[in-house]
Amino acid sequence: MSEDARVGIVLVSHSSALAEGTAELAGQIGGGSVHIVPAGGTDDGGIGTSAAKVRSAIAAANTGAGVLVLPDLGSSVLTVRVLLAEPGKLPEPVVLADAPFVEGAVAATVAAAAGADIKGVLAAAEEARHARKL
Amino acid sequence: MPESSEAAITLAGDLHARPAGSLALAAAGFASAVQLAVGGTSVDAKSVLSVMGLGATTGKQVVVRATGPDASEAVAAIIGILARATPVGG
Repeated sequence: MSEDARVGIVLVSHSSALAEGTAELAGQIGGGSVHIVPAGGTDDGGIGTSAAKVRSAIAAANTGAGVLVLPDLGSSVLTVRVLLAEPGKLPEPVVLADAPFVEGAVAATVAAAAGADIKGVLAAAEEARHARKL
Repeated sequence: MPESSEAAITLAGDLHARPAGSLALAAAGFASAVQLAVGGTSVDAKSVLSVMGLGATTGKQVVVRATGPDASEAVAAIIGILARATPVGG
């Protein structure tokens, strides 16, 4: 791993617009040095998830330090779990985060931009479960 | 005995999402522990969501405290970012 490699982030949503908008927001807050790749919607642009989109997003997000995958709801989680269970098909390490979508994406992006390793980025994303807005 | 440092600033504008991100990122670059306090609430400056949830709005006094080998540099950097909070920040 090069010293400059940042953990990459993949945002998996049922909606392409939600994944892209969240990636844009997290990139603005986190300063733009992290590869945040949206994987939203089905292959034909509808609402749903696509294993092919997630697989290529993981490849695009990986710069050598691993990839954090953040799903929105339900079958996004299942799609990622099925992919992670395929041995040898993905770069290592790839981890699935159990975190709120927007807050988790923002927290993970800032941690990755600060140079945290995959464990640190996962911890930042999952700490977002406890963040209060008010 | 670790070095410790503290300074305060009154915000000229609200601490919006992007400056909160810059602040957390800058804080994470220091070895020292860095805390931000507004009123009776104190949070880890390296946690962007905590910084956003602090309620650091126009006219509030923010106290920056750091403890560690680069405490005074950390406080100076964070105060610098807070000083750039303006009434039209985004």
